[in-house]
Amino acid sequence: MTRGSRQYLRPDAIARIHRLELRARAVVEGALAGLHKSPFKGQSVEFLQHREYVRGDDLRRVDWKVWGRQDRFTVKEFEEETNLRLTLLVDGSASMDYGGGAEAVPPRPTKYDAAATLAASLAWLALSHGDAVGCGVFDDRLRGSVPARTKRSQLTSICDVLEAPRNAGTGDFHRVLRSVAESLPKRGMVVIVSDLLGDRDGVFAGLQLLRTRGHDLAIVHVLDDDEIDFRFEGATRFEGLELPAHLACNPRALRDGYLAAVEAFLGEVRQRAAAVRCDYALVRTGEPLDAALVRFLSRRASVAV
Amino acid sequence: MPSLDFATLFWWGLPLVAAPVLIHLINLLRQRRVKWAAMEFLLASQRRYRTRVLLRQIALLALRTLAVLGLVAALAQPRWRSAGGIAGGDATTHLVILDDSCSMGDATGDEGDLETDAAAGDTRRATAFDRGRRVVERIAADLASSVGRHRLAVAVTSQLAASADALPPLLPFTDIAPGSIQTVRDAVGRAAAGAGAAGPREACSGMRRLVAAAGGPRVVWLVGDFRGRDWLGSDEPAATLRQLAADGATLRLVDCAGNGPGSNLTLERLAVVGGVPAANVLLPVEVEIRNDGPTAVRDVAVELREDGGGRPGVRIDEIPAGGTVSRRFDVRFTTPGSHALEASLPGDVLQADDSRQAVIDVVDRVDVLVVDGAPDAASGGLGSGDGFYVATALAPGAGAATGLRPRVVPPAALAATDLSRFDCLWILDVERLDAAAVAAVEAYARAGGGVVFFCGPRTRADVVNDTLHRGGEGLFPVPLAGAIDLLPDAKAAAQTPDVTVEDHPVVAVLAGQRNPLLDAVRIERFWAIDRGFDAADHGVRRLLSLRTGQPLAIEKTFGDGLVVAVLTTAAPEWNNWARANPSWVVVLLELESHLARLRRQAESVTVGEAVTVRLEAGVDEPDVDFVVPPDAAVVRQTAVATSGPLLEATLSATARAGIVEARWRRLDGTEQQRSFAVNVDPGEGRLERAGIGRLEAALRGVPFRYDRATDVAATAGDVAGRPLAVPLLIVVAALLLLEQLVAYAAGYHPVARRPTA
Repeated sequence: MTRGSRQYLRPDAIARIHRLELRARAVVEGALAGLHKSPFKGQSVEFLQHREYVRGDDLRRVDWKVWGRQDRFTVKEFEEETNLRLTLLVDGSASMDYGGGAEAVPPRPTKYDAAATLAASLAWLALSHGDAVGCGVFDDRLRGSVPARTKRSQLTSICDVLEAPRNAGTGDFHRVLRSVAESLPKRGMVVIVSDLLGDRDGVFAGLQLLRTRGHDLAIVHVLDDDEIDFRFEGATRFEGLELPAHLACNPRALRDGYLAAVEAFLGEVRQRAAAVRCDYALVRTGEPLDAALVRFLSRRASVAV
Repeated sequence: MPSLDFATLFWWGLPLVAAPVLIHLINLLRQRRVKWAAMEFLLASQRRYRTRVLLRQIALLALRTLAVLGLVAALAQPRWRSAGGIAGGDATTHLVILDDSCSMGDATGDEGDLETDAAAGDTRRATAFDRGRRVVERIAADLASSVGRHRLAVAVTSQLAASADALPPLLPFTDIAPGSIQTVRDAVGRAAAGAGAAGPREACSGMRRLVAAAGGPRVVWLVGDFRGRDWLGSDEPAATLRQLAADGATLRLVDCAGNGPGSNLTLERLAVVGGVPAANVLLPVEVEIRNDGPTAVRDVAVELREDGGGRPGVRIDEIPAGGTVSRRFDVRFTTPGSHALEASLPGDVLQADDSRQAVIDVVDRVDVLVVDGAPDAASGGLGSGDGFYVATALAPGAGAATGLRPRVVPPAALAATDLSRFDCLWILDVERLDAAAVAAVEAYARAGGGVVFFCGPRTRADVVNDTLHRGGEGLFPVPLAGAIDLLPDAKAAAQTPDVTVEDHPVVAVLAGQRNPLLDAVRIERFWAIDRGFDAADHGVRRLLSLRTGQPLAIEKTFGDGLVVAVLTTAAPEWNNWARANPSWVVVLLELESHLARLRRQAESVTVGEAVTVRLEAGVDEPDVDFVVPPDAAVVRQTAVATSGPLLEATLSATARAGIVEARWRRLDGTEQQRSFAVNVDPGEGRLERAGIGRLEAALRGVPFRYDRATDVAATAGDVAGRPLAVPLLIVVAALLLLEQLVAYAAGYHPVARRPTA
C-alpha cells in the first residue's frame, strides 16, 4: 500500500466496513456474477421475460416454442447477476480544502481529506467483494481518474489519484457529471463525495443525466462542523475559498441567519436527491468516518430490494 | 495646578468617551481571518439581517459611550443646587462667622494647648478665640485642597453687630486656592477676642445680611464658644439659623470652648454706694465678685487703684461656688474732679472680667436746698426752726465735713430757683406751695431728684392732700388725716420705744439689736395718715414706724426720683430727736445720700456701647476729643444738636475696657473734662456652655452639623448642593446592564447549541 492508502484506509474504519456487504440497489452490468443484481437482462439461470425479436438479436435466443404456438418470433430474456461497477467521484474544488488545523477541537480533517478517506474506504470494500472500482477527482473538470478495475492494485491507483496534487479550482458539477455519464460504458453505481457548495442546479442536472443512463446514485455530502454549526466568535473576516467575496462581521450576529440558510440548503439537497432517486448521506468531518460509512452502507442495505 | 472642580475634571475625562470607538477600531484591525467555503450562506444571512445588525451595533456603541460619559461625569463630583442646575461648576461660598465676644478669651483647656504671642514674644495658654482662628485656617486649607471651587469670607460677630454702616468683613469674599491660605491667616491674625459682649445673639441681623449678600450655594460656619447665656436665653440665634437653613444654607457649628471646668471669678460691680461725692469726704464703695467655677475660691485678693495709684486692697476669705460676695471700702478724694477707681483680681481663665473701673466725679461741695416753712426763714438765715436742725445735721461744720452745703430758702423762692443744681430738696413744714413751686418740685423729682418733706404744725392736711398727694398722683407719699399726739402706752410694763426701724437702707445702720440712740427718741405729736390708705396698694415703703404701728417716715418713688415724708417736725418741737441725738444726724445724712443716689449714679458704659457727652450750645465748643484706652488714642467728634440748647458728642463704639476721657473747651476758653468708665459686660464671665444636648433642643428643626474645634474638617461633603455622583453611578450601572442585554441580543454572548443536521 502506498502512503496515500495508509493515510486514507485507517484500520479502525476498515475493520468496521469489512463486516458489511455492499449491495447495489439497481442491476449493474458486469462480467462477474456475484451477490449483486444486475440491471441488465441476458443469458442467465433465471428466465425473466419474452420480448419481440428485433433484427440483430442472437438467433440462439429465439424461443422456437412460442413460434410454433403463436407463429411469431420472440426472444427470451434472463436475469444476469454481475459484479458492481463502482465509480467514485471526489470533489477536489477549493471549497473542499476547508477544515483541519490544529486549533480544531477535536482535530478534524479537511473536507477533502474526509472525502478521500470515505472514497478509499468504499473502494476497498468494493474491491474486497470483487467489484470494479474507479475513481476520479474533479473541480471544474475531471482532473485525475482511474477506470474501474477489479485488480487488488486498483486501490493503490485510486489512492494515488486521491493523493495527487489538486488544482483546487472552482467546481463545475454539471460538466463533470455529463462527461462521466458519457464515459461510463456500463451501468453501475456512482458515488459522489462532495460538499455540494456550488451550482446545485448543475449537480442535480448531472445526476439526472446519470439516472437516465441507469446508474445507481449516491451522494456522500461532506461538510465541516464549522459549516454546519457556525460557532465562530469575535470579530472575523471571512474570505471565500471559491467565491470572490469577503465579509467582516461578528459571526454571532449572523449565526441565526446562517444556520437558517444552511438548513434550507440541506433540505433542498435532500429533497432534490430524493427526486432523482439518489441516496444521500450527510457526513460531518468531526464525526468518525467509519461510523459515517457504516451508517451510509446500512441505510443502503435497508432499502435494497 | 488647576483646582479640581467639576468642569476641569469633566473636560479632562471627556476624551475617555472616545475609548469605545477606539476599541472598536482596534478590534477591526485585530480581526481573525478565516478562509471560508460556505460564503453563500454567510452572505445570505448578512443580506437578511443587515439592518438589525447595524442598529444593534450602533446601540452598543452608544450605550458604551454613554456609560463612559456617565462614569467621567460621576468622577467629576457634580452637585445639584436647589436654585437649579448642576452646581459642579459654580463656586461654593463659605461664610465663617467668628465669635469675638469677651468670653472667647476663655483659656480653659488642655495645659499643653499653647499659643505663641508674636507681639509679646511669649507663649500662653490658648484661648477659645485662638482655637477659633485655627479652625478658620484649617477650613481654608481643607477647601484649598478639596474638590470644587470655593469662596471664603470671614467676619467677626462684633462687626456684624454694628449698625447699618457696618465694617467690611475681616476677610472679604476670596476664591480659595493653596496660595490664598496665607491671606486667610493674615486676616484672622489681625482679629482678637474683644472685650465686648457682641456674640451670636447680637450679630443675628448682620449675619442674615452677610449671608444674603453671598448668593449661590452657601455653607455658614458659626465658630464660637456656644455659651448658655447666648443660646438658651433667647430664641433669636435659633430663629436666625432656622431662616438661613430655609434659604438653603448649610449650617456648621464649631465649638471652640475648652474642655474642663474653668474656674472664673468675675468682677461684677464696682460702685459708690452712698455718701456725698465731695472733696475730703469718705465715700463708701462696694466691690462685688462672682464665682462661676464649680468649687469655692478662697483667699481672694482684690487690688485697688485710685487714679492709677495703689491703695490698700480688699481680701475675701471665701467665695462659694456659683455665689457672689461683696465688700465695702471707703475712698476719699481731696480734690474735685473726675477720679478713677480700678479693682482687679488675680488672672484666671478669662482675664477680661478680672478688672473693673469706676469714675467718681467729685465736687467741692454738694448743694442741698432746704425750704423752710418757718416765718423767720425768709431772712435767709438758718433760723432756729426746722431749717436750722436740718442744715446743721447735713453740714455740721468744721471737723465733720460732710461735703454738703445746705442753702435755706423760704417757700416763695422755690419756684424761681434752679433746682437742677441741688443734690436734694428738703421741704420743712411748709403751709402751702403754689402751683409753680409744686410743678417745679415734681419735675425735679421726676428727673431723679430726691425730696424730703417734714410735717409739723404749719402743715395743712387739705393743702397736702389736694396739691401734693392728689389721690396718689402727686409726689407726697400719703394722704394726711390730722395731727395727733402719741400717747404713752400705760399698759406696757417697760417703756416701748416710740420709733421702730423698718427694713430700709437708710435706717439699716440702726437696724438689728435695740439701738439706745433710737430708743431715746420721743415722739409727742405726729401727722396721722388716712385710715383708708393702704400703703401696699400705692407702692410706698416705710422707713420708720411708731410703736402704735402708724408710719412715721414713708418713701415713694416718683418718676426717676425718690420722695420721703417724715410725719413729724425736724426741729425738736413735736419730738426730741434732733436734740443732741447722734442718730438724727446719721439718719439725715443717710437719707440725703439715699435720695441723691440716683442723681449721683455714675453713667455705666459697657464695652461696645457709645459714650455721649452733652454740651450746652452757646457755652461749650462743639469739638470733643475722646481719649480711648488702651493706648490713649484721640478720636475727635463734633457735637450735634439734639433738643433745645443741648448738643451731644458721641464716641460711637468702645472696643476696650478702661477709662475714656472726653475733653472740650468752653467758649470762654476754659478746659472741660469728663471721664467715663467702660467695663466688660459681667455676664460674659458666665462661661457655662450650652452643650450639644441643649443646643439641639434650642435649635430643634434646624438642620446643622456640630463639631468640636479639634474635629472639624471641611470635606468635600460639605459643599453645598446635592451630590449627583451616586445617582450618576446608578445610571451608569443601568446603562451597562442594558449594554449587556443588547450585546447578548447582538450575539456577543455564548448561545445554546443548535444542531441543524
